[in-house]
Amino acid sequence: MSKNYRILDLIRRSRSPLENHLIDGLVDGRVSRRDFIRHGSLLGLSLPLLGGITTAAGLSGMPSLARAAGAAGATIRVASSVPAAAIDPVTIADAGGLVVLQQVAEFLCVDGPDLVLKPALAESWKPNDTGTVWTFKLRKGVKFHSGGEMKADDVVASIDRLADPANSSNALSVFTGILQKGATKKVDDYTVEFHLDAPNGNFPYMVSSDNYNAVIIPASYKGDYETSFDGTGPFKIEKYTAKVGASFVRNDNYWGEKALPDRSEFTFFTDVQPMILALQGGQVDIINQMPVLAGVALLSDPSVDIISLKSVAHQQLHLRCDSDPFKDPRVRRAIALSLDRDKLVAGLMKGRASPGNDSPFAPAYPSTDTSVPQRKQDIAQAKQLMEAAGAGKGFKVTLTTERYLEIPEYAQLIQNWVKEIGIELELNILDQGGYYGDAVFGKSNWLDSVMGITDYGHRGVPNVFLAAPLKSDGTWNAAHFKNKDYDTLANSYIAALDLEAQKATAGKIQNLLLEETPVIFGYFYDYLTATAKGVAGVQPTAMSQLFLEKATKA
Amino acid sequence: MLSFFARRISLSLVTLFLLSIMVFLGGQVLPGNVGRAILGPFADQRAVDALNHTLGVDRPLLTQYATWIWNFVRGDMGTSYIFRSPVAPFVIDALGNSMKLAAVAFVLVVPIGILGGVVAALNLNRPLDRIISLGGLSVTVLPEFVTGIILILIFGVWLRWLPISAAWPKDAGFFTQLYYLILPSLPLFLVLFGYIARMARSGMIEALDSDYTRTAVLKGLPWRTVIWRHVLRNALLPTITVIATQTGYLIGGLVVIETLFRYQGIGSLIFTAARGKDFPMLESGILTIGIVYAVATLIADFLYSVLNPRIRLGSDQ
Repeated sequence: MSKNYRILDLIRRSRSPLENHLIDGLVDGRVSRRDFIRHGSLLGLSLPLLGGITTAAGLSGMPSLARAAGAAGATIRVASSVPAAAIDPVTIADAGGLVVLQQVAEFLCVDGPDLVLKPALAESWKPNDTGTVWTFKLRKGVKFHSGGEMKADDVVASIDRLADPANSSNALSVFTGILQKGATKKVDDYTVEFHLDAPNGNFPYMVSSDNYNAVIIPASYKGDYETSFDGTGPFKIEKYTAKVGASFVRNDNYWGEKALPDRSEFTFFTDVQPMILALQGGQVDIINQMPVLAGVALLSDPSVDIISLKSVAHQQLHLRCDSDPFKDPRVRRAIALSLDRDKLVAGLMKGRASPGNDSPFAPAYPSTDTSVPQRKQDIAQAKQLMEAAGAGKGFKVTLTTERYLEIPEYAQLIQNWVKEIGIELELNILDQGGYYGDAVFGKSNWLDSVMGITDYGHRGVPNVFLAAPLKSDGTWNAAHFKNKDYDTLANSYIAALDLEAQKATAGKIQNLLLEETPVIFGYFYDYLTATAKGVAGVQPTAMSQLFLEKATKA
Repeated sequence: MLSFFARRISLSLVTLFLLSIMVFLGGQVLPGNVGRAILGPFADQRAVDALNHTLGVDRPLLTQYATWIWNFVRGDMGTSYIFRSPVAPFVIDALGNSMKLAAVAFVLVVPIGILGGVVAALNLNRPLDRIISLGGLSVTVLPEFVTGIILILIFGVWLRWLPISAAWPKDAGFFTQLYYLILPSLPLFLVLFGYIARMARSGMIEALDSDYTRTAVLKGLPWRTVIWRHVLRNALLPTITVIATQTGYLIGGLVVIETLFRYQGIGSLIFTAARGKDFPMLESGILTIGIVYAVATLIADFLYSVLNPRIRLGSDQ
């Protein structure tokens, strides 16, 4: 397709310099279509506009969503994990709870399966020139289930509540250093400004479904969510029974397209095995989140469909940079070189993962510099590094980790691989409570162990992974990695608004982390949702949300 | 007799009190705290501290314990830290469910187990005895999750005769609930059958070999009368003790079965509470099981004394 410069010029006239730079990148071929759409959505360009620009630039437009294949009016039955605590938008922290919350309450924007931000309660958003103030335009005519209209006051109250340290907010770790209580300001009933502590090029993700606490609920909320389940979503609560399940019915006053199912039923399970049996036995239609190893039998089951999302969820293997035997970066690199990542992806994760390159920059991120060479297993080089570091005779060390998902199996594989370079690894596998402990330095196996594996969930942008586990003052810095150059680069990346500037900094960070290797990122695993054959239109996110408004059953 | 039971009841109360202290102290030894358990490892410490303060778990341990035990004695189980609602409905519901499952398992296993043991003893060292003894032993040693999954696969997934989940629909009647309880009670049946049959068998063998049986036979009593009047009555004494001790297991120790069959019993309630350091729920759940266990043991003692006059007489002397 040829480029239509006349239309491109017309579009460019009304865009900011930042937006035009992105459009130029697409037209010149510096930015791929996929990255253009993702980053354009972050800057607040609407999806139709992004589609129009890609078409004018001689590329195909937006992909169209598959149409529902089955009958509307169904009851969709979901197996999900038991909410770990009371359902409360402020404190909720687990997949079982957030999926219930998300059925009734909505976000300003939603981080889709392709990491493209889609408008929800906000129609559009844009940063100021420096990325310190982000302005969100709210959708008009959105009604809470309790009847009132959703306006700027509700958004300000919802976000302020989360940014207030006195409120036991689980989102506080997301907003710390980014957004304080009182920094969310109402401009008018349908416009809200976020005044940030520092420039932040990825801020919209912090108020999207990526931050699962950031649902918008009435300003009058007093902390008794289970009595109302008030929100703006396409479904309303029918019944909630703690530890047992929840059911929802269609909200006929919904601002958008009305939900196709009449009802949805969530059944809570404490273990994945009964979920699998329930799906096979026809008692549920969907398993919201299926760990690959536990669900191997379903991967080849002809009566089951698997929805596989590229996610950046991963298991971080940290090496304490301030303690023997990992003070020398050559020893850390040697361990990283002993891992066979292809086997991790193909064997351990049954092909449902992407290889990691020892930085948080997963292949799924548009800002990842793909020209940085992928680290591969090289035992000879690893042995050389061990010799050079004076550790040629090897050593004995303990790997402390948690009993969760495939981590114990991953630890055993590492144990076998590092044996080849003379390292004798003793495994100390604890339950999750024992591993995380009090989750503060000095009282946590996670943060104090010399070598450990920790599970990290999906995030639409790498900001959190770049800061908390890797910056010198990072609250989750289990590797005790302190590097001023890294801190500067990470701050620079977080502040950058421009995709190409982000990519350039990302490349530097990736190379620095390959050199230092405080944390080994072996693989990023896919987020799997299993559905019974005939169930269509189900839209999970890698954050464990499950959008059912377009779901149908044959 | 009365003083015997008064002594047994006082002892049970002391045991329960000590149990509550041990559970409380044990809960404190577990790593982490309630706020951290609710908000997760990645939450900001300020948020964790604020939540702990709201829940009152930053008060001195003695205050927390004393407040809870005082309220419990007065019939108030407190408020769950995790669910932020009263503990009593959770415990009562879960206990009711556990008792229903235990009742179905008992109704199945006690008569069949005793019958198996009696038949085995009456056919000592014959093929039928070996089948019952060895078969019972084999299924007893199989863990519940293994038999549970096999039974689910056969009756739930392949044949689709029985529901996989034991959670019956709301407003389900007696027979519907029973229908939902068949599958989860089968692994319990398999675990307990061999145990009860073995005890009944050995009790029978001992009784059949005793002087009073010989005397009864020599007196010319019909064989059926000998068995019913003399042998069974004595043979079942140890079996009753075994059944009583299994009550605690059936009421409180079914975490695996409850997880596998998605059953809201007290075992899984306590397990969740322990993981979340939900002290009011944990203490109340365990103490409730303790009370059930103590009552079951008292009933067993009572039955034992009814069946065995020597105990009654001994206690009165």
